[in-house]
Amino acid sequence: MTITLHDYSLSGSCYKVRLMLGFLGLDYDRRQVDFYPGRQHKRPEFLAINPLGQLPVLEDDGLVLRDAQAILCHLANRYDGGGTWLPRDPARFGPVMMWLMFAGGELMAASSARLHDVMSYDLDIDAARRSARAAFRVLDDHLTHREIDGATWIVGDHPTIADLACFPYVALSGDGGIGHEEYPAIRNWLREFRKLPGFHAMSGIPEYV
Amino acid sequence: MPPDQWNAVALDSQIRASSSNPVIVNDYAVALWRSASGQVNAWEDRCPHRGMRLSLGFVEGEQLRCIYHGWGYAPDGQCRQIPAHPDLTPPKTICARRHAVERRYGLIWTNLADDPQAALPDLGADEGWVAVRSIFLTGGVQEARKAVAGDLAEWDGTVSDGDVVTLEMPDGTRLAAAFQPVDAGSTGVHFVARGPAATAEGRHGLARQVVQLRNRIENN
Repeated sequence: MTITLHDYSLSGSCYKVRLMLGFLGLDYDRRQVDFYPGRQHKRPEFLAINPLGQLPVLEDDGLVLRDAQAILCHLANRYDGGGTWLPRDPARFGPVMMWLMFAGGELMAASSARLHDVMSYDLDIDAARRSARAAFRVLDDHLTHREIDGATWIVGDHPTIADLACFPYVALSGDGGIGHEEYPAIRNWLREFRKLPGFHAMSGIPEYV
Repeated sequence: MPPDQWNAVALDSQIRASSSNPVIVNDYAVALWRSASGQVNAWEDRCPHRGMRLSLGFVEGEQLRCIYHGWGYAPDGQCRQIPAHPDLTPPKTICARRHAVERRYGLIWTNLADDPQAALPDLGADEGWVAVRSIFLTGGVQEARKAVAGDLAEWDGTVSDGDVVTLEMPDGTRLAAAFQPVDAGSTGVHFVARGPAATAEGRHGLARQVVQLRNRIENN
């Protein structure tokens, strides 16, 4: 049984999956896709795997899965027997799902700003930064209340796929011209995430030393 | 010449041990870092070596290390370690630019003047102040102070306007808003409280009210 990740090193969404595979200690094959400047993800061979033309894609035991958030759920469901990363109890399952959708939704404005600045995407950069700022505020406001309770993570008392899914594009936002100066609670949460055992870096996000 | 003036730049509780943080005061980038033992430092956010932001660096014990080449700086600003030349004692000329920093009323304050003479704002006893939260408002500091004082005037209690705006609440809680001029388009406002509401429950309530204040000001 082999897990294959269709991957691009500089993609924050692919990084979500690489982080999860790392935390779970799973071996996998990496198939590099030349996202930029090659736009290989829009070629017919790749569209046959994912008609949406998006990365990442995970192949696992006959399943072909797209969408980073869906892949995180799949990996947690299949390989994390203890339910640590995806708690099933009603008090936590719903909130984890809610923040997971936020990671794949509102927070992706920070990804858009980065695509504009780093990979020359033609989009409304001011609108992207405005939307990212609004999303960061929502997360910082939430984490501020978590700090008052002495808590560190988005949901519950240990990291979940909600933290994992929100982490990359918040950490990488400087690439899109969005600093962390206005988000003290986010800064503290990012630092704690980087300290997790099994964490690994990507270009733009250093290991915690 | 930077003004001889103390500005709150963070809630003390949000600047963790062994962390380096980006803070902007009057368009000037500061690395606000706390050593493992808890000592707070406010430095120019620039490594003397290659100009990398020190707020991206990491803290190792009592030293701040630059993320770029790992140069290590002691709290006196002196470079003590150059990993590429482990046997070299770095020359005295390699020194980070330090600024005055104080902890009071649950806040961290800096004064960027070369020879600060001004006194910190006086809010009475230092004990008992707890963090509520920080917010960042669009617009310059005068505008932000006016808007915050105006909003607090609509709350129950008595507002005192000044460098720090305070509200005496009916239950004896004192809420203080201290201002951080970021640049012409942004102002940080750091809220702390003292008295009956200085509990976890009270802080949650006040933090929610402060977010509502932010929303009212921005929607006006």
